[in-house]
Amino acid sequence: MNLLWVPLLPLLGALVPLLTGKMSRNVCAWSTALLPAFALMIVISLIPGVMAQQLPSVHYEWVPVLGLSISFFMDGLGLLFCLLILGIGLLVILYARYYLSPTDNVGRFYSSLILFMSAMLGVVLSANLIQLWFFWELTSVSSFLLISFWSDKSDARKGARMALTVTGAGGLALLAGLLLIGQVVGTYDLQAVLASGDTLRDSALYPAIVILVLLGAFTKSAQFPFHFWLPHAMSAPTPVSAYLHSATMVKAGVFLLARFYPVLSHTELWFGIVSMVGLATLLVGAYSALFKHDLKGLLAYSTISHLGLITLLFGLDTDLAAIAAVFHIINHAVFKASLFMAAGIIDHESGSRDMRRLNGLFKYMPYTATLAMVAASSMAGVPLLNGFLSKEMLFTEALHQETLGSMSWLIPILVVIGGALAVAYSLRFIHDVFFNGEPINLPKTPHEPPRYMRVPVEILVLLCLLVGIFPQFIVGDLLLSVGHALMPNGVPYFSLSIWHGFNIPLLMSVIAVAGGMALYYQRRHLFAFQSQFAQVDAKRVFENAIQWLVIKAQLVHSWIDNGSFQRYAMWLVVAALFAMGVPLLNMPEAAGTLPQTQVDPVIVIGAGLIIIGSIATTLVSHRRLLSLVMISIVGLVVSIAFAWFSAPDLALTQLSVEVATIILFLLALYFLPQKIAHLHLSPPRVVRDLVIATLAGAFVGTLCYAMLTHPMTSISDFFVANSKTGGGGTNIVNVILVDFRGFDTFGEITVLGIAALGIYKLLAGIRLFVPATDSDGRPWASEKNPLMLAQISQSLLPLALLVSAYIFLRGHNLPGGGFIAGLITAIALIQQYIAHGVGWMRDRGDLNFQWFIGTGLLIACLSGVGSWVFERPFLTSWFDYFSLPGVGKFELASAMVFDLGVYLTVIGATLSILANLGKLTTSDRPVRSPVKGGRL
Amino acid sequence: MELIYAIAVGVMVTCSVFLLLRGHTFTIVLGLTLLSYAVNLFLFASGGLRLNSAAILNDGGTYADPLPQALVLTAIVIGFAMTAFALILAIRARADLGNDQVDGKAIPGDVLGDKTVSADKRANS
Amino acid sequence: MMHLPILPILLPFIGAVVLMFPFFNERTVAQRQIALITLLLTLVASGWLLHDSLLFGPLPYALGDWRPPFGILLLADPLAAMMLVLTSVLALGVSLYAAAGDDQAGRFFHPLFLFQLLGINGAFLTADVFNLFVFFEILLIASYSLLIHGGGRQRTQAALHYVLYNLIGSAFFLIALAILYRVFGTLNLPDMAAKVGSLPTDILPLARAGGLLLLVVFGIKAALLPMHFWLPNTYAATSVPVAALFAIMTKVGVYSMWRFHTAVFGDDAGELSLLGMNWLWPMAILTVVVGSVGILASKSLRWLAANLIAVSVGTLLLTVAMSDVKSTAAGIYYTLHSTLLSAALFLLAGLIQTQRGQAGDRFVRARPILQPRLLGILFAVIAMALVGLPPFSGFVGKVFIMQAAAENGYIWRVWPAILISGLVTLIALSRAGTTLFWRTQGLPSENDNKVAHPSQIVGISILALSAPLLVVFAGPLTEWSMLASEWLHQGVQLRDISVGNK
Repeated sequence: MNLLWVPLLPLLGALVPLLTGKMSRNVCAWSTALLPAFALMIVISLIPGVMAQQLPSVHYEWVPVLGLSISFFMDGLGLLFCLLILGIGLLVILYARYYLSPTDNVGRFYSSLILFMSAMLGVVLSANLIQLWFFWELTSVSSFLLISFWSDKSDARKGARMALTVTGAGGLALLAGLLLIGQVVGTYDLQAVLASGDTLRDSALYPAIVILVLLGAFTKSAQFPFHFWLPHAMSAPTPVSAYLHSATMVKAGVFLLARFYPVLSHTELWFGIVSMVGLATLLVGAYSALFKHDLKGLLAYSTISHLGLITLLFGLDTDLAAIAAVFHIINHAVFKASLFMAAGIIDHESGSRDMRRLNGLFKYMPYTATLAMVAASSMAGVPLLNGFLSKEMLFTEALHQETLGSMSWLIPILVVIGGALAVAYSLRFIHDVFFNGEPINLPKTPHEPPRYMRVPVEILVLLCLLVGIFPQFIVGDLLLSVGHALMPNGVPYFSLSIWHGFNIPLLMSVIAVAGGMALYYQRRHLFAFQSQFAQVDAKRVFENAIQWLVIKAQLVHSWIDNGSFQRYAMWLVVAALFAMGVPLLNMPEAAGTLPQTQVDPVIVIGAGLIIIGSIATTLVSHRRLLSLVMISIVGLVVSIAFAWFSAPDLALTQLSVEVATIILFLLALYFLPQKIAHLHLSPPRVVRDLVIATLAGAFVGTLCYAMLTHPMTSISDFFVANSKTGGGGTNIVNVILVDFRGFDTFGEITVLGIAALGIYKLLAGIRLFVPATDSDGRPWASEKNPLMLAQISQSLLPLALLVSAYIFLRGHNLPGGGFIAGLITAIALIQQYIAHGVGWMRDRGDLNFQWFIGTGLLIACLSGVGSWVFERPFLTSWFDYFSLPGVGKFELASAMVFDLGVYLTVIGATLSILANLGKLTTSDRPVRSPVKGGRL
Repeated sequence: MELIYAIAVGVMVTCSVFLLLRGHTFTIVLGLTLLSYAVNLFLFASGGLRLNSAAILNDGGTYADPLPQALVLTAIVIGFAMTAFALILAIRARADLGNDQVDGKAIPGDVLGDKTVSADKRANS
Repeated sequence: MMHLPILPILLPFIGAVVLMFPFFNERTVAQRQIALITLLLTLVASGWLLHDSLLFGPLPYALGDWRPPFGILLLADPLAAMMLVLTSVLALGVSLYAAAGDDQAGRFFHPLFLFQLLGINGAFLTADVFNLFVFFEILLIASYSLLIHGGGRQRTQAALHYVLYNLIGSAFFLIALAILYRVFGTLNLPDMAAKVGSLPTDILPLARAGGLLLLVVFGIKAALLPMHFWLPNTYAATSVPVAALFAIMTKVGVYSMWRFHTAVFGDDAGELSLLGMNWLWPMAILTVVVGSVGILASKSLRWLAANLIAVSVGTLLLTVAMSDVKSTAAGIYYTLHSTLLSAALFLLAGLIQTQRGQAGDRFVRARPILQPRLLGILFAVIAMALVGLPPFSGFVGKVFIMQAAAENGYIWRVWPAILISGLVTLIALSRAGTTLFWRTQGLPSENDNKVAHPSQIVGISILALSAPLLVVFAGPLTEWSMLASEWLHQGVQLRDISVGNK
């Protein structure tokens, strides 16, 4: 039977309860149990192979690039854990059936439980490091769902969040560790990794690997100082606790220790850290357990303490310590699961978990009480029970280790103290709950639970006894096969028997038991002593820590980002300064080898005008109308400069755009304050900005100079050569625009079109402030359309249109072209608006810009697509010469169609922009929509 | 001459950057316009400066590098669209936020001699 | 089908132009249908392009039939094609979501949306510097117009910053571009890549200035520190679908860095190789840090999502800084993941906002969500993916990047950033989820019009499904990323391109 099914069946099984969740709890429970039971059978069927060291395994490719594959294998360790996970899992399913109330969402509960189960199975069976981590994190996630099952309770939410955060953090550390292992070994295949222990131990990364992997293990198995999350996970339903904190979740941590024991252990570092952490956890857990009044609280801390015990054993440098650890993993799983279930029963049937109120329950539920007492004694390590055996082994190993060098004698003593504490809290569990007087005002009178709710407990307790009495027979072989996994180079001999004769370990046990009894008997003093210390609620501490983090983050954030554009722009410019400045600073000399042209007066005058104009614009920027005049001077000179430097097309374009821009600015100024104060100019700010601005100017200027003086070889000669022959035009620039690089122009008119749409949105339903007077308090002229202007412009219109047509047609061969022509037409039409007013224009057919732009863009596009007919790419131009009588020889070029598109788009866009804005100054403004702020 | 040209560009950039770092939308757009002039000159310069040489074929002589000219032309047009959008956005912002500060936070006494009335009121009068 | 490479540009163009006509002004349904059809066609074309480019290598397209480097060249290599497919899928999901009514909050949503798409696709396809500038302007002006869609003071304010900021950026772009033209004498990227090795030494500083300035310009798009300020506010202020669509915008910046700083100024760029990477390293790490701070500081889901984008971009820039084949491949895969899922988170935030009454998407106790099951499951999936928890896509990208870093010996620069930001995200999103869905009081609001519209659910699901699918098909996807990355690094030689007869 394929190993893949073991994790896969429960995974599919996670869907079952979602389907059967609506039916009776019996149906739901049984249907849920079905697939895991099947998986368990598969596992059992695989046992012989594992025992015979023929490890079953499967392997499928998944993400080769990352070395991530779907591969599982089952060695002794995996087998043991599979049995625990599935076996106890099934019992928990049965138990939960009676624990959950009909109001609970049973389907969701079982689903998450089974999901968790399959995640655990994935962890213990993984044969690929990354896949192992995959399932590892999956356990964190699914346990989050389980712990937060009663999500309306704040405790559940916080507890779950804490568990997720802590184990999640550990998971990240583990990921790092595993990836490092992969780096060192060169593969993520676990079996290969397990075979290369020396490579790992010798590598420089070894310490990092150990620490990261251990972080993962310790956070998961609640080792000190990461133990604080576990008690708060108790806000989960008890079946969950019984599962997570006995056999699974927390055991995943120690599983990891066992898994990497062969390759990572056997070094000072490992033994040092693991043993110390384990010891600390053992004692801290045991001591705190003693003072918990909550039944589950006590069990939670005892769990921590026992996990510490197991960890400690993995940290002892003796041959059999690891075996003992594994043995205790089994025992603890068994008795702790039964204890949690018992606690759940008590809670369920008496309505309370507070040991100060729960007393003398024995007479109410004698049967359950007996079971619980047996389990508790096993927890205490009483002979004839499984707990005793593994504790004996611990004592034995504690005596034979040299982990701490000359201080190694400390360990046995501390271990005995831990044992005594264990006895003490076990005693308390037994005595306080079942005897010690009468129950104190419980919500309901306690009674035995339903028959089948007890069955799981019975089975587990029976196991405690069987293992305790016939250890070799029950678990001997299993331990041996696990030993093979842990110690590839041969398992040392070990004997599991109750009686090893009178020896020191036995003595230690006696001391532990006696000490424990004494402790419990004298507990009042202990409690009094403990009560001097303030109770710290880890949950609150944790939440506060997070809160603190959040608040600090908000402070830092508001400090970095104060929401001021001036800061944003400043940083942007500064970044650009670095980008330009650093290379320039490393440039020996700006001037290149090119011979520089003579200075002529015109240039000087032009440059002078530009400089003066720019500075003036800046100086009078608070008197806006004036600054407009200044900047328009600059614009004019720039266009003249273009003409001067033999770029007539540029000059024309710049000029016409200049006009449009200035009209735009004037219109804008109508809606914006015309004069502003210098309030915002604080001297330090001005200095700062001046420095930045000057540097920017200096850098750009230098770059410009360097550019101008360095020789270049360009692709331009091609355009000169092919403009006429290939493009059919003598105006190279225009041919570039409509042919060589027509695609740019295509994009350019698209921008115009989009801008028109956007501006329409901007102006839709705008709530305006319009000045009643100009800035000097003079009222605006009431006469809208001066007659003179009207007459002139009206007569000008045909002329303007004629000119634009001429400019358009000659464009391909002489300066001009669609764009300039379009602008001229547009401006001429705008002039009509200005002269006659919007109403007059509307009566003569309001131009709908959507039509203009749309048609223009379509024509441009079609002229490009047209070339597909001739098996040529987009925008391939075609031209030829014809001659008609009368007209003479003339040229037709597809580029002209494209240019027509440009022409129309430009008209549409310019008109829509200027006219729509202009309309706002009149009563024809679009009405404001009811939506606040207007819909755009 | 190249030097003078470069200096002019540099000064334009300086002034425009200073304007960009001001707090009023109008001023910033003004700066952007100035900056785009400078950038166009800069881009134009990437082809080198040619006095009285031909842009049109067949009138002989040397040719100015036509490619930067075409690029600048496109840049001018796009710049126009952008400036228009920015300006009108500035108006919109003034309308929505009640002031023409780029951060939308009014500064008292910032605006001089400007009595604005609701557009609708004025239309009715 | 020789015209395949230009279809991802032309199809949205035609769709958008058609939708511009007054005929559609009031015809909502027709608008949506045409938009949807256009998007589907674009998706098909992009997928086809991806298939072909993976099979036959980069597909060139010479516009106007002018042979490169003289004409404008489109180059659909596997990387570009993957980005195209990604964008189409994203656009499809977002458009479906918007079709539930957000598109009617103002005019011209669909044409502008398609224009935006056209700009983005063009930026991915073009192999010409100035043409790239033009497409940048197209996607910018479209994004300006989309940003203000729906109106409101907040949006106007955000738009003001965004627009002015990007206008400055465009100016720098032109300066950089002029310098590069002067240095290389060409605008064609493969041509530049061919020439970069043999530039005269005295002009190298100019080239550096140009290249670094480009890094700044692309840094604006990518929201690289200190050009990141525009991002959170813009994303949080604009309408939900637009924010989701913008998830791809930052990636355009990163993509352009790949095109220039990985491909042109790549390993064999001689003096200029790895230009600016020594700057990119610290800035990328800081971007992650500041983004993480923002995540912790977020008070609402949309702010959180915006800061998540900042972090993902920072992570992505780390892969750019590493600039070797595997790192780029990791970056490509991570791009697919982070784009789709952060977009999904934005859309989901929109639904949560409408279903929690006054509280909106702020992290406060409020009335229960109307559809806790549906939205809860979606949230869980998206959040786990973004945190990088198995079984969803985040962890693949994370592992991919970490492995690449380890192989380049950049463990100490990259791993802490990724792991810590991952932990921060985990903390923030677990708090967000438990608060939004479980920390409730009172009853859910009764009016049913708040219930999520089917097309909204479909839209989100299309994006959220990527979380499992990117994992299931991680095998081929990572292979393709590697292939795309190899093509990017080795580049194409113009002489090998047989297009353009004129």
